[in-house]
Amino acid sequence: MMQASFPLTADDKRIDLDALAAYVKNGDCLAVGGGLSSRVPMAAVRAILRRGVRGLKVVGSAHGIDIDLLCGGGAIAVSAESYVGFEQDFGMAPNYRRACETGDVKVEDSCCYTVVQQLRAAISGLPFMPIRSVRGSDVGRLNPDYRLMTCPFTGEELTLVPALAPDVALLHAQYGDTHGNLRIEGPPVTDLLFARASRTVVATVEKLVSTEELKELGGANVPYFYVTAIAEVALGAHPTACYPLYAYDRAHTALYYEAAKAGPDAFRRDYLTPFVFDCADHADYLDRIGGAATLTQLASWSESPATWQRLYMDRVS
Amino acid sequence: MMADCSFGEVMINALARTVEDSTLVFHGYGSPLVQLALHVAKRTHAPHMVLVAGATYGVNPRPPFLTPTSNDWVLDRGAECALDIGELFDLGASGRMGRMFLSGLQIDRWGNANVTMLGNENLQLKLPGGGGGCNLSCDAQHVTLWTTAHRCDPAPRDRRRYRLVKRCDFVTSFGHRTADGRTRAELGHRGQGPEWLITDLGIFDFNADGHLRLRQVYPDTTVEEVAESSGFDVVVADDLSVAALPSPEVIGIIRGLDPIGVHLKELRPHDRERRFTVRLAEAVEAS
Repeated sequence: MMQASFPLTADDKRIDLDALAAYVKNGDCLAVGGGLSSRVPMAAVRAILRRGVRGLKVVGSAHGIDIDLLCGGGAIAVSAESYVGFEQDFGMAPNYRRACETGDVKVEDSCCYTVVQQLRAAISGLPFMPIRSVRGSDVGRLNPDYRLMTCPFTGEELTLVPALAPDVALLHAQYGDTHGNLRIEGPPVTDLLFARASRTVVATVEKLVSTEELKELGGANVPYFYVTAIAEVALGAHPTACYPLYAYDRAHTALYYEAAKAGPDAFRRDYLTPFVFDCADHADYLDRIGGAATLTQLASWSESPATWQRLYMDRVS
Repeated sequence: MMADCSFGEVMINALARTVEDSTLVFHGYGSPLVQLALHVAKRTHAPHMVLVAGATYGVNPRPPFLTPTSNDWVLDRGAECALDIGELFDLGASGRMGRMFLSGLQIDRWGNANVTMLGNENLQLKLPGGGGGCNLSCDAQHVTLWTTAHRCDPAPRDRRRYRLVKRCDFVTSFGHRTADGRTRAELGHRGQGPEWLITDLGIFDFNADGHLRLRQVYPDTTVEEVAESSGFDVVVADDLSVAALPSPEVIGIIRGLDPIGVHLKELRPHDRERRFTVRLAEAVEAS
């Protein structure tokens, strides 16, 4: 069994944000949930940085501000992500770039389907999975643990990728219950695979509800027995989106990006200090990003397509 | 009657024309030109295309407008259904994805592309990485490549930083052959590889060897400009022609879908200023 203890049957898995972040230890292989500008467990990422965690290896598919912030805070030693950037919106991830280019972060880039197959191997209790792709590219150069085999059935050459069981999956869901059931709404990205493949799964949720209410909302897509701990953290994905509760905070992301782009000293002074290290807790962070007024604005997406669009236009720098 | 269009609209139109009807087509993230091209194709010549949106994996969405990032609920509004990451890439691996779109900070003459890093021995510039592009470059039936930065800044040849290079520093997504000459047939990949490359200077296909071949220039570009900005000898098709301009219908679809102008972020300032006059009779013929 891949998990330290399984199944996880405690009746009440509630914990506070700092205790939840403490599951991430120096040197762990960490899978961060969500993707790009959506449903990323940012409050937990900030809590990890406040704890001074070092030497992480991060694995996954498409990421942005989460991995860039962890790089900027010096928490990462190896990146095996498939993408770390801000798309066409802001472009390259400044802290991630710097950390890779100075050698502080070792580059072990992966690619999405390879990650999927590696997680599936772990979930299936297999040592590896085969894939046809990757050969012909240089991605294997960054991943010396891939192997080639000749298929005993067809004689074709295939790539074998090893099972990947992250030490910790750190997820953020819209809803959960005290038992640990999680309901992720909208695109699940890699989270459902992370939840089933990782040795420890910890989650923040926007709202804790009863198991009955969770069923009424449509039911869990991560069963409770995979989950070790759960913390209710409203606005826990900010500045990424967590629909249906709030949209992407583009203005705050622009502020982040400008600070990161200006260099490590500026990033520490203008972002890490005020928005991570000087925040006593998540409530303090929420005050610093504009409190209830910001939430009201980001929640206005649901009023009409026009208000949704205005959210981006008003907040475009 | 005359209508005016932008270079972005011309490029979106060219990307859209690489899509066949009744195929499953996926666009990645960070690529609003391609997103718009797929919606144009779906609403014009390819109504039966299975359009899978990058990042959300929504199928046949009808987004009210384009957003500045790809994993946004705006972009899967109206979707008939949705895939998850495993299912999407399984469709590629089993040979059931008709077309994917890929780009690169370097694209070589065989259609290999680099979005991972610059520098041969030592890493000089870390790029974001390719997402699932490496996998899909091998697996998708067809690939359309595109770049909005083919035109080089004027500099002596030996110091010019080419987008179209003889050889990529790192191959993230596989084209038609490796640097040491192995072909995709030898590697046994399911996909047939890059079929088109749409750039800010022209439109290429690939010849029987798998080498880029210039097929079209734009009304405001020349073969000489293409050659000046390419890091290898450009092969020109015998039947070189001028790219079609979008019809008023296509222009209307693009403007309706991108009121914020998200796709302009992908274009360099010079290309944002390029304008073309569409004579309506010609546009109708071209569509």
